[in-house]
Amino acid sequence: MLAVTDMNVTMQMLLPEIIVAATGALVLILDLIWVRPLGAAPSARPWLAYVGIAGLALAAVATVAERHTSAALFSNIFVVDPLAVFFKVLFIGIAIIVLLYSVETLPRFTRWPAEFYALMIWCTLGHMMLASSNELFTIFLSLQLTSLPLIVLIGYAKHDGRSGEAAIKYLLLVLVSTAVLLYGMSLVYGSLGTSTLPDIGAELAKRTTIGPALILGLVLLLTGFAFKIAAVPFQFWVPDVYEGAPTPVTAFLSVGSKFAGFALALRIVVTALRIDMDWHITFGVMAALSMFFGNLSAIRQSDMKRMLAYSGIAQAGYLLVGLASLSQEGVGGLLFYTVAYGCANLAAFGVVMIVAEHTKSTRIQDYAGLARRSPLVGLSLAVALLSLGGLPLMAGFMAKFYVFVYAAKAGLIWLVAIGVMNSVISLYYYLRVVWQLYVPAGEDLGEMKVPVRSSVALTFCVAGVLTLGIFPEPVMQAAQAAAAALFGG
Amino acid sequence: MNGLPVLSIIALAPTAAALLILLIGRGKQLPRAIALVAGTICLACAIWVWFNYDRTAAGMQFVQTIPWIPSLGIAYKVGVDGISVPMLMLMGIVMFTGVLVSWDVEDRPREFFVLLLLLVTGVFGVFVAQDAFLLFFFYEMAVLPMFLLIAIWGSTRKDYSAMKLTLFLFAGSAALIVAMILIYWQVGAHTFDMQVWAAHTFPATFQRWVFLLSLVGFGALIPLWPLHTWSPDGHVAAPTAVSMMHAGVLLKLGAYGLIRLGITLFPQGLHDWALLMAIIGAINVVYGALCAMSQTDLKYVIGYSSVSHMGYVILGLSMANRFGLEGAVFQMFAHGIMTALFFALIGYVYEKSHTRQIAEISGLMLRTPVVAATFVIAAAASMGLPSTSGFVAELLVYVGLIGKSPLLAAVAFVGVVVTAAYLIRTLTKILLGKPSEAVEPLVDPRPIRMLPMGILAFTIMGVGLFPGPMYETIRIGVMPILQKLAGG
Amino acid sequence: MGYVLAATVLLPLVGAIVVALLPKSAEGAPRPLAIVFAAANLGVASWLWANFDRTASAIQFELKLPWIPALGTSIHLGVDGLSLPMVLLTALLTLLAVIASKNISEQRKEYFSLILLLEAGLAGVFIALDLIVFYLFWEVVLIPMFFLINIWGGPNRRYAAVKFFLYTLAGSLAMLGGIIGLFLLNGANSFDMIGLREGSAALPIATQAALFTAIGIALAIKVPMVPFHTWLPDAHVEAPTAVSVLLAGVLLKMGSYGFLRFGPQLLPGGFTRLSPVIALLAVISIVWGAAIALRQTDLKKLVAYSSVSHMGYVMLGIAAGTGAGIMGAGVQMFSHGLIAGLLFLLVGAFYERAHTREISAFGGVVKVTPVLAGILVFASFASLGLPGLSGFVGEFLVILGALGPYMIYAAVAGLAVVLTAGYLLWMVRRVAFGELNADRATMPDITLTEALAIGPLCVATVLVGIFPQTLVGVMNVAVEGVAKVLGR
Repeated sequence: MLAVTDMNVTMQMLLPEIIVAATGALVLILDLIWVRPLGAAPSARPWLAYVGIAGLALAAVATVAERHTSAALFSNIFVVDPLAVFFKVLFIGIAIIVLLYSVETLPRFTRWPAEFYALMIWCTLGHMMLASSNELFTIFLSLQLTSLPLIVLIGYAKHDGRSGEAAIKYLLLVLVSTAVLLYGMSLVYGSLGTSTLPDIGAELAKRTTIGPALILGLVLLLTGFAFKIAAVPFQFWVPDVYEGAPTPVTAFLSVGSKFAGFALALRIVVTALRIDMDWHITFGVMAALSMFFGNLSAIRQSDMKRMLAYSGIAQAGYLLVGLASLSQEGVGGLLFYTVAYGCANLAAFGVVMIVAEHTKSTRIQDYAGLARRSPLVGLSLAVALLSLGGLPLMAGFMAKFYVFVYAAKAGLIWLVAIGVMNSVISLYYYLRVVWQLYVPAGEDLGEMKVPVRSSVALTFCVAGVLTLGIFPEPVMQAAQAAAAALFGG
Repeated sequence: MNGLPVLSIIALAPTAAALLILLIGRGKQLPRAIALVAGTICLACAIWVWFNYDRTAAGMQFVQTIPWIPSLGIAYKVGVDGISVPMLMLMGIVMFTGVLVSWDVEDRPREFFVLLLLLVTGVFGVFVAQDAFLLFFFYEMAVLPMFLLIAIWGSTRKDYSAMKLTLFLFAGSAALIVAMILIYWQVGAHTFDMQVWAAHTFPATFQRWVFLLSLVGFGALIPLWPLHTWSPDGHVAAPTAVSMMHAGVLLKLGAYGLIRLGITLFPQGLHDWALLMAIIGAINVVYGALCAMSQTDLKYVIGYSSVSHMGYVILGLSMANRFGLEGAVFQMFAHGIMTALFFALIGYVYEKSHTRQIAEISGLMLRTPVVAATFVIAAAASMGLPSTSGFVAELLVYVGLIGKSPLLAAVAFVGVVVTAAYLIRTLTKILLGKPSEAVEPLVDPRPIRMLPMGILAFTIMGVGLFPGPMYETIRIGVMPILQKLAGG
Repeated sequence: MGYVLAATVLLPLVGAIVVALLPKSAEGAPRPLAIVFAAANLGVASWLWANFDRTASAIQFELKLPWIPALGTSIHLGVDGLSLPMVLLTALLTLLAVIASKNISEQRKEYFSLILLLEAGLAGVFIALDLIVFYLFWEVVLIPMFFLINIWGGPNRRYAAVKFFLYTLAGSLAMLGGIIGLFLLNGANSFDMIGLREGSAALPIATQAALFTAIGIALAIKVPMVPFHTWLPDAHVEAPTAVSVLLAGVLLKMGSYGFLRFGPQLLPGGFTRLSPVIALLAVISIVWGAAIALRQTDLKKLVAYSSVSHMGYVMLGIAAGTGAGIMGAGVQMFSHGLIAGLLFLLVGAFYERAHTREISAFGGVVKVTPVLAGILVFASFASLGLPGLSGFVGEFLVILGALGPYMIYAAVAGLAVVLTAGYLLWMVRRVAFGELNADRATMPDITLTEALAIGPLCVATVLVGIFPQTLVGVMNVAVEGVAKVLGR
């Protein structure tokens, strides 16, 4: 990896982050100087989101331009490599989609969306930085940058008590996980005397015995990201927060936040944790528990958001299967899985938002006959859920297969077996929803109008799901390249 | 070899038609017209393949390979051999007739035909796929539309049945994924090409256990007793065309898959589990027949008869000898056509009389002699009476059985007698006597509705009276497997 | 020339299809059309009879077309002295049965179509020289028979039809098992009855016996031999007259004909080993059938049991295996066909007039219907073996032939004629003579249609009785061949 010291080059490398940070600020400034003076006139507000999207798109272009780069900045605390690029593009994409959705949804719970957009953009900035962080304290900083905006975002629906409750819960979670993480970091730093991940890895590799303090430190470090990805046993906060948060925020949490956790985990596990320990088992058990817990709990849910919350826990389990392989290909599978899961889950939440706009409900039974009211929305949700369930033609099928193939190569046959078994379990509740969409003839509630912005975002996600399901090769190659960077570097 | 990618046309034309219907298929006429065109194309291509398959050269033909997911060594590879060619014909016929049978679907015809065509793609895909992943891809693709087709257009506990069927089949495919991944790494050639796999010799233990996985996975679809319980429910709940495809072809996917990914790869595994398979097959035959005997719903009778008839396929395969295998494949074809015919007939009767209760139906022969006569042909095939395709199939299976285990043959014979008993009983009740009240509205079908029954009945008799070409094709297809079995 | 032989199957088959396709409105057409086809077929059979080379031992009018070459089965047809009389008998009785079916009022075209189909099947059995083709026709007979009894039969027809069907089907499966065993053990990969001779005759005696047991059960059910006879009275009682004629006249002969074909010609060792059992069962059939007939109060049942008894003679002759025995069996088969047909026609005529078959419901009918009563007397004499009539030739030769190997049985069979005379004459006395039953006082005498049906049979009975040489001449060479194989 190229150590960059030239300040100009450094700035160039940081261009995506700089653009994103500036975009957030720009949104706020525009709000102050342009939108607010117009008073309550709503017509200008969407433009704030469009500005944000444009900025993010610009940042994405800047990121993609770095796709062949492999550089370490600021004495190796911040890296720009294909893995980071991969995640950054993903995060930006997620943010764009969620912003598009938000434009439709926000007026329901706030008149002033500018802060919402800005916070979301800055939160994305935090995600992007996490993807590049290569040092403990940078990690800590980036994590805070993601967590703090999220707390506000979760509580954004001021008039909804559940939203506030969820924000408090998340705040507590952030406090606890931060404390845990910080404690872990100090233990690790204290034991090894270094904070950059590669050095930690090198130090650990040298040692023949590892003291209890260091062990504790490493475990606590991992715990920090386990909260983020919501894997069992650190999943307890998920259902309430997901349910309470405004739906765009939930969507954002369910993919962006989770993937940020994985971005972090990948670096820590692969770069730093080079010790002779059977991580296969650790992550494998975690994966298995997440899948079983998530899927079995999801079966009982009658609320769509809660169901998706639990399904998200299960999906974290499948992602962990990729991590448990601890191989370049396994990580490639994980990365591919994030894209597939991202598309599908955003599509699902998009539909949740659209339906909630019409029916003011997120109960599954209120989805009855949706496919008749709006074929596009119905089909989108069906595709999204079936992708999550891992059916062919959809991205989820390829993703699961990819992950399982390399888990098997790593000798985790039992985990593959549990994984496919869980796919079947999950199909039960996904299919139940699909059944609701198509089957009941019930009362005809008339056609459902879908706003243009939402349908654009939705179509994009669904197209992503189908494309990945039929022609997965380009994304797979990108994922492999990213994984190769991690293992090669 | 002709440059036309005929197999891809067969597999993908239905999807293209489905998309077309999605885009422009408003109303009732257009979807079914498009579906019929797709059906005609598929059938025509299947017939073309049938006549152009070079039986002297044998082996895989019409092969087409396109890299698909090189990262995983997956290719879009299609081709047919002597086992797939009859299956293509089967599916071509059943699909074509299935579309015709659905001619009068009133409820959401657009969605119906879209899903039906997707299902068709899946099934055709399995029969032409020469890449294990592709096969599996299509296989799962076939199951999903089934769920909605049953759940929306079905009858009699359709929700329950649809969910049960889907979960059973996916549970089966879960075992298959594991098996497939294991084979992939065991071969280690970074490919899912089944011909490459078939050339690999697997260690004995591996063969034993992975064959079992394959047996369970595909067995859920065949359906093997005791994994069969979804099957009669599914048949009964499904709309007519879906029942036809379901019992007619989908069950064969299981057996076909077992041949491709089980027996061909693991001859030793087959030997290890042959006894178990044979016993299960015999249970299928007798148990299915006994269950059919006690049914009061026409469709359940045929549903259980499928369980029974697929038992012959399992028995044939488990014999691992020439006639057993040939018989199994022949039975796959024969049973497919005969069951499709049964369901087409029952569907027609149900459509007009709104009942399937045997007790409420009688005197069909007086109201509609054509339907009655066709019923008799289907029943004759089902009983394995000579001059029907069912006979040739069962004859071959018996030859295989008697050569190896006369005892099982005796059990199978008992099954035939029970089969004859329930069919004869049922036929007597519904065909003869005075027309019952429910049957009053029945008349001879319109030509377009008669056509599917005619085609199916004609196929039964045609293949039964002139089984030579079909047998020859199957013989060629089975030969390489026999060589492996002899060598393993 | 072979195609002329094939016409005996194809002609009625085409006839069946043509009749079935007649428009509903053509009420009067089926019977005349059926008569035309049946008469044409009789013409063909007569032509064969006339052109048959009585001195040649080879199969004549042979036709061999490839069918399923890989399975060693071909469409192999031909006749020898054993089968030609049966072909003629089939053609003759079918024509008469069609003529006698004037009073069928419901579903006429189905009825005549089925009768012609039955004829095709029966003729096929007698001319088939390939085991699979033989089995095919053997089973084809079941379907029309089943429906003929089940639709146009008496009040208890359903039970009788189902019993008939299942009984014979179960038997057939045993036969199929035997055939397959023959095929597998022979090693010639052939189902050809001629081609298999050498190989199967060389099998170990125990194996031959086992195979012959399996096949023999099916045949014994068809004959029927005690204790496999219980389906027969039921079927006869319920069947309409014309069907009874064919059932007793031709269908039963399928069994005894099968014994001749499978026994001496294919499995001589097994046959010889088992012939004491067959002979014993034959004698039991003779005595038991006659004894049961003695206590029947129903005319038709009486005739039915008399068939059991008379077929016993056939079987005794076959079991004896001597030239005279087999010749006797052959003649008896032909003769019983005529006489049983005659008796059933008479019973039918009486039933039509009285709507009852209870013997006690008649009495003294000679006074009102002298012609019918006279023919009844004539038929009874023929049946009990009065010299100068056909029955005598057969029974005499059988007893003569059996004297050598089974002296006691022959004696018993000879004495049993007394029983036969007993039940027949007693029946005649109660029906035709004595005091006129008041209910029967207005009974009309024979009609033209009846005369047309009955007349030829009477003539044939006399002709065979007086000039047995016509029949014996045809059979002679074949019979000698059989006897030579058995070494008796």
